Amino acid sequence: MSELLRAEGIEKSFGASRILRGITLSVGKAEVVGLFGPNGAGKTMLANVLSGLIPPDRGRIFFEGREITRLPMDARFRAGLARTFQIPGPYPTLTVAESVRVALLCGDRRRGDGERPPRGLAEETESVLHRTGLFAQRFWPAAQLSQGCLRRLEFARAISCRPKLILLDEVFSALSTKDEAELAALLRSLHRDDGISFLLISHNPLLLEEMCGRVVAIEDGRVTWEGKPADLAKYKPHAHGQDHGP
Amino acid sequence: MTPFPRRTIGALALGAGMLLLLPLAGLDRFLLDVLVSGFLLAAYVGSWDIVGGVAGQICLGHALFFGTATYSCALLTSLAGWPFAAAGAAALLLSTAVAAVVGTFSGRLKGPFIALLTLALGELAHEVMLGQTFFSPRGAYSWGGEGGIPVALPWENPSPWASYYGALLFLFVSTWGMTRIARSKEGLLWSAISGSELTARASGVDVARHKRRAFLVAGLLAGAAGVGFAAHVGRATAADFSLELSFQAATFAAIGGRGTIVGPVVAALLLHTLFQGAGIAPAARVLLYALALLLILRFFPAGVAGTLRERFRMRRMAPGGPSP
Repeated sequence: MSELLRAEGIEKSFGASRILRGITLSVGKAEVVGLFGPNGAGKTMLANVLSGLIPPDRGRIFFEGREITRLPMDARFRAGLARTFQIPGPYPTLTVAESVRVALLCGDRRRGDGERPPRGLAEETESVLHRTGLFAQRFWPAAQLSQGCLRRLEFARAISCRPKLILLDEVFSALSTKDEAELAALLRSLHRDDGISFLLISHNPLLLEEMCGRVVAIEDGRVTWEGKPADLAKYKPHAHGQDHGP
Repeated sequence: MTPFPRRTIGALALGAGMLLLLPLAGLDRFLLDVLVSGFLLAAYVGSWDIVGGVAGQICLGHALFFGTATYSCALLTSLAGWPFAAAGAAALLLSTAVAAVVGTFSGRLKGPFIALLTLALGELAHEVMLGQTFFSPRGAYSWGGEGGIPVALPWENPSPWASYYGALLFLFVSTWGMTRIARSKEGLLWSAISGSELTARASGVDVARHKRRAFLVAGLLAGAAGVGFAAHVGRATAADFSLELSFQAATFAAIGGRGTIVGPVVAALLLHTLFQGAGIAPAARVLLYALALLLILRFFPAGVAGTLRERFRMRRMAPGGPSP
């Protein structure tokens, strides 16, 4: 499987606190990789570095063979590397449709998918809203959405740049069983139909087993284990007294 | 963007019609003068709403762009001897350039830091202009400070009707333009930045570039209002850079509804005309503006037009609500 994203020796510190200690990780084309680890292991920090929100102190990041280490988050989105946030931050004054339109305006809609010609903005907005199950709520102020719909809106925003890779930070947390199942189905369809790769950050080993082709575990800012999801049960965390969450 | 409800369009058309016919009611020169300055102030407040409301970058030194334009007109016509039209065009360019510089510095800043930066720059310009003396070309007398600098205008004693309709046309055109910009794709991106810079960046928005554009457009429009004011009053004074003028814009925008353009424009026009037309002293007017703000925010937390817009959106959410 050819590499889509490669991070080499990523280090990040804040003062004396070393959050990431030389993490090397890769995601292949059309691959779903799970990122597993206890609270404070550095998972979200790694997502922040990979998405361009925070620059690393050391290390290099390559996307489709091109170095993007110093590329800002908005440019990475336009290049096809999208992310979602653990705590969604909707635009309070915009409707759901307008929120999607923002991402469509900035994402490269002209890239097309190779088969269909690029569509108009309104048509594209409608298509994304239908796909993510938000069409009925298109006129709702984004701030009025339920937690499940907010996660869908995060997905809608992320897929608006026709991404090649989406970093999903705890996208299934704080959801009802129904919402979780619907989002998992959406993720599968995006992976299957569009060939989008995912780096799925989660506390939930069962979910990672079900969704991922490969799992990477990190602890204390280091990669401590990598293997097949089915072997995740055999993985024993090294850190002492740390909580693995639900 | 959410369409304007029909009743709002009707009310605006009625107001515009009344303003067109108002001089026929036999208003005296003082009231016409109050209305002309009200139109220019309303356009200036609308320009604040572009950057402070739509783009959400609280600018507390907005008078910097207005004052740059009035002073440019005054200095270029009275000291450099330029014709007013050329000075007006240069004033627009200068106010836009100043806005571009402020926008560039603001690009990397957030919320209160932008407010502090613009406040400091506005006050700096105000203090400099208060203390600066300019000598007339013949060296006969000095200009500047509180007394200001005269603007050499190509006309003497213009007809109050011409001033009225000229300023009213400027208000209509600028408000229409600002509303169009606010509802354009660029305006949508500004609203996104205003809502959440982080989500906007994660949606591919180059935040610094679009913030700079918002400042640029607001600076150009505030400059246009400044040129109009220089042409109307015939003098540029340090008060054109004052903190009071900057705060007035923010106050009127909060009363009318930040980010709605029309709300702040109407609020500025109504309150200015009401209080100045009634001959209330400037110090008392400030107090009345503050009282109006408190009262309005009690019943309309997002300003009048802002709260009405929210209610309209909530109605659209409800089953059977108005369709797009």
